[in-house]
Amino acid sequence: MKIKKSQPDGNMIRLLAILAAFIFIAGITKPALFMQLGNFQSIGKQLAEYGLMALGIGVCMISGGIDLSAVYIANLCGISAGLLMQKMIPAGGSNPGAMFLSIAAAIVIGALCGAFNGFLVSKLNIPAMLATLGTYQLYMGIAVVITNGSTVSGLPSAYTALGTALVAKVPLAFLIFLLAVLILSFIMQKTIFGTRVYLVGTNPKSARFSGIRNSSILIRTYMISGIVAAIAGLVSLARINSAKADFGSSYTMQCILIVVLGGVNPNGGFGKISGVAVAVVILQVLSSYLNMFPDISNYFRDLIWGVALIAVLIINHVIAKRRIAKLDSV
Amino acid sequence: MKYFDQLKKQSEFYVFLIIILLGIIIQMRSGLFFTNNNLLDIARSMIVPSIYAICAFLAFLSTGPDVSFPLIAALSSYIAIDVTTKMGYAGPVIVTFIIGIFFGMLMGALNGFIIVRYKFPSLIVTLGTSTIYSGLLLGAFEAQRMDLPENLADFGRTSLMTVVNQKSGLGSTLPMTFLIMAGLYILTYLVLNFTMTGRGVYALGGDEVSAERAGFNVKQIRFGIFLINGAIAAIGGLCYSIMSMRYLPTEFAGGEMIVIAAVILGGTRMTGGVGTLKGCILGTLLLTMVSNSLILAGVAVIWQRVFIGMIIIIGTAVSALQGRSSAKVSHKPRKEAA
Repeated sequence: MKIKKSQPDGNMIRLLAILAAFIFIAGITKPALFMQLGNFQSIGKQLAEYGLMALGIGVCMISGGIDLSAVYIANLCGISAGLLMQKMIPAGGSNPGAMFLSIAAAIVIGALCGAFNGFLVSKLNIPAMLATLGTYQLYMGIAVVITNGSTVSGLPSAYTALGTALVAKVPLAFLIFLLAVLILSFIMQKTIFGTRVYLVGTNPKSARFSGIRNSSILIRTYMISGIVAAIAGLVSLARINSAKADFGSSYTMQCILIVVLGGVNPNGGFGKISGVAVAVVILQVLSSYLNMFPDISNYFRDLIWGVALIAVLIINHVIAKRRIAKLDSV
Repeated sequence: MKYFDQLKKQSEFYVFLIIILLGIIIQMRSGLFFTNNNLLDIARSMIVPSIYAICAFLAFLSTGPDVSFPLIAALSSYIAIDVTTKMGYAGPVIVTFIIGIFFGMLMGALNGFIIVRYKFPSLIVTLGTSTIYSGLLLGAFEAQRMDLPENLADFGRTSLMTVVNQKSGLGSTLPMTFLIMAGLYILTYLVLNFTMTGRGVYALGGDEVSAERAGFNVKQIRFGIFLINGAIAAIGGLCYSIMSMRYLPTEFAGGEMIVIAAVILGGTRMTGGVGTLKGCILGTLLLTMVSNSLILAGVAVIWQRVFIGMIIIIGTAVSALQGRSSAKVSHKPRKEAA
């Protein structure tokens, strides 16, 4: 029997085709506005924040859970970094060491928040949705307490400059997103840890019986989500020059949508980081395109995304069913 | 004593203890908790969350999380209020409610259809449909704040009960919507406990395959649950508008998480099949107390969310650990047999 070589991923091809179709339609109908370097730059800049969070949530969903607290981890980390920078760097001054320290602190906080999520999910057996529902209130609460409910703003200009920085005409934020995609894809596809995350997501019981320590895998999975969320928080801090405890609350929904659009199975075990990444780009291209029609309300995007989510679910379901039918007939 | 032993096993009992404890603490620190106006205020703030709690409860009991009820509430009550305003309708309020319930059921039917037909996780489906409803509400209908038509406003002004605290002079009123809430709870209680369909909801949540073999029409019951959830959400949305005396399209979204937390705290098992309405009320009461009265205990408002988060985490951790220990016990005999 000949072992088939791994076929090109059907889901990935579909996603890329959708993306190409959208860019094509947008390019034809709005060439003057859409086909601009500036437009693509702003697409790259805007998608980084929720794109990063979507990657983290995607990893959690592959492990069979979900992370509803990512947005609030991001806010908490952004706020902590902002407050630290304000404390350590005098207004108008610059101090690269302090800035680096603040960024590192934010990432550590994100990792801790994520590890706590993982602890609740794996050690205490709380369903992931509930555990992260609780921690989302908790992290948001902590952010409210340390800021006294106000917005953190007025950051050193050296830091906010990063938010608009371009590296060879590519926004720095997009490069960070791209780097995260590459690293996470590598972790999920090429390392033992990644394979184990898939196993735990497919069937936690058989994973345990095959000698995998589920709890250590899950804690690390949620830690990844926390770290990625922290980076998202730092990116948004630089871009909008402020951070607030309840910023971006609609991102949670949007990220779950992206992850499912990207082909991750909400029950865990299936899906790829690269699919999630392309779904992020699709969503941002679509929303930038819709922004070019001033008379279409922003809220129409919700309608389109909701329909897209349900449609993708159904399409994936039908395709999976067909594949199973094919396997049965062999 | 036997009764007490049984009581100890229920998470409702612990929630009840925490509520009493919290009440006493707040009373000791402020002397304002067990006053007629504060208790009535809490009852008033509980009305809408506890109506939503039925939606979350029924969904968990039979299938899984439903997060679409705030937006079903928003969209259906918008349609009901908008239609009656445009028609210049001024008759009994019940007609407005019926219009709302009709559209709520339509939206619930969409949820139910997708979940039953394709067996997708209900969380993802209801997230998707609630985005659709939000797009329809704010994008297609361009819903704005609006005043209530006269009949609803009148209904909102009639109160069931008014008290004035003799000492502080603070007054509080209980609106008529309280009766609607009580009615819904009684009705749900009767259906869940005294009809075959109601028992089917528990059976289906406990074990779908067994329920089907026992002769329950699993698909029908599940679809029915989401239909009913749509109707209850619509009622909740109209009650909310009546109590705030105007329609506020953007105030609905985001309430679902707290309601779900309340229901789970009240002992409803996330995996289905276990839970009581009593628990829903107690869970809602606890979270309402935290958000309403914590300030009386001298805790600054900024700490509110931290408290809510801690309560959810601790509450769910306790019930998760409980679930695990009871699972262990049931596994033991099997091992011996082997």
